[in-house]
Amino acid sequence: MPRQFQRGHKAKVSDLTPGTDLYVGVQIAGPGLTFDISCFGLDADERLSDDRYFVFFNQPKTPEESVQLLGAQAGDTESFRVTLDRVPASIHKLSFTATVDGAGQMSQVGPGYIRIVAGGEEVVRYAFTGAEFSTERAVMLGDFYRKDVWRFAAVGQGFDGGLDALLKNFGGEVAEEQEAPQPSAGGQAPGFAPPAFAAPAPPQAPQAPQSQQAPQVPPPAPQPPQPPQPYAAEGAPPIHAAPTVVSMPGATPPPYGDTAPPPPAPPPPAPGAPTPPPYGQVPGQAPGQAQPFGAPPAPYGQQPPAGQAPFGQPPQPMGNPFGGPPQGGGAVQGFVPQGAPPGGAGLSAALNPYKEAPTGQRWTAQNGHLMRVDLTMAGGAPVLARQGSMVMYQGKVDFGYKGAGFAGRIVGNATGQEMQLMRCTGRGQVFLADNNAHLHQVELQGDGICVSAENVLAFDESLSYEVRRIDGHGIPGGALFTMLFQGTGTVVVKTHGAPVVLPVTPTTFADCNAVVAWSAAAQVVLSSQVRLRRNAYPGHSGETVNLQFRGAPGNFIVVQPYEV
Amino acid sequence: MTEQQLAGYAPTPIAARMENHGNTMLKVAMATGQDLYARTGSMIAYEGFIQYEPNPPSVRHMAEHWVTGEGAPLMKCAGDGLLYLADYGAHVIVVNLANDAISVNGTNVLAFDAHLQWGVERVKGLAKFAGQGMWNVQISGTGWVALTSRGTPAVVDCGKGEDETYVDPDALVAWSPNLKVKGKRSFKAGALIGRGSGEAYQMAFSGQGIVVVQPSEDSTDRLRIRG
Repeated sequence: MPRQFQRGHKAKVSDLTPGTDLYVGVQIAGPGLTFDISCFGLDADERLSDDRYFVFFNQPKTPEESVQLLGAQAGDTESFRVTLDRVPASIHKLSFTATVDGAGQMSQVGPGYIRIVAGGEEVVRYAFTGAEFSTERAVMLGDFYRKDVWRFAAVGQGFDGGLDALLKNFGGEVAEEQEAPQPSAGGQAPGFAPPAFAAPAPPQAPQAPQSQQAPQVPPPAPQPPQPPQPYAAEGAPPIHAAPTVVSMPGATPPPYGDTAPPPPAPPPPAPGAPTPPPYGQVPGQAPGQAQPFGAPPAPYGQQPPAGQAPFGQPPQPMGNPFGGPPQGGGAVQGFVPQGAPPGGAGLSAALNPYKEAPTGQRWTAQNGHLMRVDLTMAGGAPVLARQGSMVMYQGKVDFGYKGAGFAGRIVGNATGQEMQLMRCTGRGQVFLADNNAHLHQVELQGDGICVSAENVLAFDESLSYEVRRIDGHGIPGGALFTMLFQGTGTVVVKTHGAPVVLPVTPTTFADCNAVVAWSAAAQVVLSSQVRLRRNAYPGHSGETVNLQFRGAPGNFIVVQPYEV
Repeated sequence: MTEQQLAGYAPTPIAARMENHGNTMLKVAMATGQDLYARTGSMIAYEGFIQYEPNPPSVRHMAEHWVTGEGAPLMKCAGDGLLYLADYGAHVIVVNLANDAISVNGTNVLAFDAHLQWGVERVKGLAKFAGQGMWNVQISGTGWVALTSRGTPAVVDCGKGEDETYVDPDALVAWSPNLKVKGKRSFKAGALIGRGSGEAYQMAFSGQGIVVVQPSEDSTDRLRIRG
């Protein structure tokens, strides 16, 4: 499960994932709004001293390609590939920002997020909603910053002025084109102050950029991503800053360590023990004093001011299926202390994150577990899918019984698990899933892949397939059956859990129950370690049979974290 | 320090009556006079003073169609405090109904405000096929509802497809009540020979509205098994 970050949370990237080749996805959307999502590579003074490190739609990558713009995909409005170890030493911070293009303000956005995906798995997500913003037109969503090591921070802090203000903040200057930043020496360093708002729901006056920069001491530290000064200058208890997810290294002072007690401020939570704020806490209230239960003014859930229903605006092009005008949750409730819903009121707003991904390709992953195949695309060729894997379809689709022929019978007889296929033909879209397994689409373009028969979910009928049998003592059912796919088309492979893809080296072994697929050019050799293990650990069932893979460099195997 | 390592999982300040804590946990802010119906056995933790009444009379009356024989799988929660609910790691979706209505498959209801209008009905045309009897809860009004889904759900707009939308009943989570529902057998008879179960039956939806499906066909009601 990915870590959920709140505004102000930060963590070492190495604590989140061992990888440095990261995918950063941003989802942000609002009725009638369009967004420019860009990445600023800033120097030690937090300035955009080299405009080649401003990655946006007109400049999709940095010179050494450490940051690349990938475009919209996988449910993300915009995505980047960031290779942290290739980022030049002069760049100290990569700031991911979203700006409203045209009219509008950030309070109108629906639920969105910035997330980091590494190794095929989402490792961290900072989700935000329009309720956290007000009149901002540009927000810094998250930062990678270098402080001894690369770290990631969820920022969620904005500027009223839009892209211009953002560029000014980063020391750039807006040329006529508006999108061409030019570095200038006159910029101020941005205050990295955590937001002064305590709770996400109640709206407060937006922090003007000037006030954010106030606490900044003029010569900023060389690596100042989290200077402690802003905390000291802060009046409200930094609730969002409190649960720092990962402890800072011992060398750096803890964020609260040198917090000079600000005159009117309540005592900040003790460092190292970020206590959860008591419920019913009103922003600005001292975290220590909980209100008694049942206190008359609705102790649980703050009542936001009515009218704070950012999604309540009637022009809602999200296809509100119920016709009824959406209303702000809190305003209608009377005595019910409902807060503003995080994503706006109404059914469609609540379900918006799970909306069907747009069509356009033959195979589209709706999320990690659900695949949609559009049979009308690509010539309307039929699809073969495992029986029972259809969860839904739209249109006129015929499902025909298709025994897997030789393959199905052999696999079925030998393993007791029948591999029966159904043939989906017609016009329409079929949604396939299987028991919440992770789905992966593998596009073959003339090459081949071997997939363990149990892990095949669906494939294009245009692919040719044959069954290979790997005999071995100790394999349940006497043999491992794999299907070799060749040709041009897509195979959907299912795995229990996020798999790992390993390159084939002279010493690559995999458990025959956990291996999912391998490139067809790799050779499989059985290496039986059964007896050895059994003797070594009496009573322990031990690993049964390992498969050894041999092949030229470039081959790979896929292994799932689950032994069938 | 261990507590600091875990600090990222501390509850966030309350912003609304129902909130997600992570993907699979629901946090409800309870207050006197705002009762909640929750699935029996779904409580995992609570803070404060909350009382539970399994199989309350109001539910018993409502759920006379409930095909169980052992009482309705809902309990009424009342009191002050914070209530945490979960259903065996299923994905939790919080919906704030604003004068909307939603029809939810019975096994996918986690909790809803007691003041909402709700009713239990058997799915027409389907129950007679699918032995276990599928019941669904129709909830309408203005308030909070929490659904569960095995895996990240997908929401499909029915009106967009020119034809009907067919859903495997085991994968169905919720739908708009104004959709027309009927059972459909779409597999050829040959597919049934020698097979105990399969995708022989679907539910066909037509009209303007949405359908929510889960990427899993596991309809087992985990909270019932416990007894």
